[in-house]
Amino acid sequence: MKLIKKQIPFAIVFVFGMLTLVSYYVPHPKSVAFLDTVSQWENIVSSFAFLLGLFSLFYTHYAKIKKKGDGWGYSLFVFVGFLAVVVPAIVSHGRQMSGSEMTPLGWSFRYIYNTLLATMFAVLAFYIVSTAYRSFRIKSVQAMVLFVAALILILGRVPIGEILWGKALGWTGHSLSGLMNWIVDVPSVAGKRGIMIGIAVGAVVTSLKIVFGIERQYLGKD
Amino acid sequence: MSHTWMIAGGWLAAGLTIFIFSFLYKDNPFFKIAEHLYLGAGMGWWFQVYLYSIWIPKVADPLRAHQWAVLVPAVLGVSLVTQFFPKISWVSRYGFTFLMGYGAGLAIPTMLSTNFMSQIYGCIQPFTDVSHMTRLGMLNSLIVAVGTIAVLFYFFFSVENKGAVKKISNIGIYFLMAYFGTTFGNTVMARFSLLYGRFDELYSYSGANYFYATQVLLAGMVAYFLVHGLLAKKKPEGGAAN
Repeated sequence: MKLIKKQIPFAIVFVFGMLTLVSYYVPHPKSVAFLDTVSQWENIVSSFAFLLGLFSLFYTHYAKIKKKGDGWGYSLFVFVGFLAVVVPAIVSHGRQMSGSEMTPLGWSFRYIYNTLLATMFAVLAFYIVSTAYRSFRIKSVQAMVLFVAALILILGRVPIGEILWGKALGWTGHSLSGLMNWIVDVPSVAGKRGIMIGIAVGAVVTSLKIVFGIERQYLGKD
Repeated sequence: MSHTWMIAGGWLAAGLTIFIFSFLYKDNPFFKIAEHLYLGAGMGWWFQVYLYSIWIPKVADPLRAHQWAVLVPAVLGVSLVTQFFPKISWVSRYGFTFLMGYGAGLAIPTMLSTNFMSQIYGCIQPFTDVSHMTRLGMLNSLIVAVGTIAVLFYFFFSVENKGAVKKISNIGIYFLMAYFGTTFGNTVMARFSLLYGRFDELYSYSGANYFYATQVLLAGMVAYFLVHGLLAKKKPEGGAAN
């Protein structure tokens, strides 16, 4: 049983990990074909992983409705929302437009899903600003740098920022957008590069640990 | 879609937008309805994306054409669902290990080329053409190179952070703060641009061609909060639990 439960899964990680890694550096038609095939397989397998989330969500809300738990009526709207997109999708065969005509799926996307998605993220604008107002305490020069960089970027992207800058600091001969671009292109890039290099080193080390079976936590217990 | 459907869509979109914005005042049933609809619609959207971009063209169609090789990823994919059955949940390891193996094998070369080599190249490359650089350009390139090294010192945990190492890593913190500041600013502006979009749509639906959907729904929402507030005030103390 140990062979089926543990050793074969580890062999799968090692074989696919090494073959993918080696194929990336081998410019041979067979390695290119292998990468292409495995990439398609990965698409298929990960699409089934989505079902894990979907079934889990449905089960949770179905159980809530069945038990008539707190706010069970709202759970019905999870299924309503799901059907409001899936039924039009089936009717429209997954197409949002048919020629210049909007299909039922296009309608559903435009007036339901996109509306909800955009509004949910738009509401975050208020929370980001209110959280920043409450949590920003300029206690050090480093915190000051963060605040100034954010402020310049926010003001630099709106016309009023340039007007205010022109009135207060126009005599310097520099524009706010110029300063904003300099911050984005120079000190910010340095910070970003350091982080990206750090992430790369971390990801490579973790990936090697996974391929060689040193990191096994993702398999769970037993 | 007919004109009637467009008007119905306008009312629906205006209503859902106002329901979600109503949360800024306080939690209420309309927001909860919109929130749950969002959850379901989001899942529905991704379900149809997978159905029409993967399950039908990449699994069902090849199987109909007797391309049996596609059974391998399909079975590995289905194995993931065994997570819901404790007795055979170990079967899901086959699917997960395939994803982990492929992901790890691909992450090594892609991370090395895009996040590691490209970033180092970006720091060095400007200095290969010094004769064509302006003084300001050279200064900027130096700041980027020194800043990157200083940030790396900050993330270097193999030696104790004291003396010269601490001084350099402290400089790195300033560059990190500049990056976090610009990222924060960009996030705020992206959210605000979505907010302008929502207000723009609400304005569109407030026209006579949509039968004043925004105004009617907004008035309904205000009326709900007024009635709800008045009823809550009338309740005796201690009996306000809901």
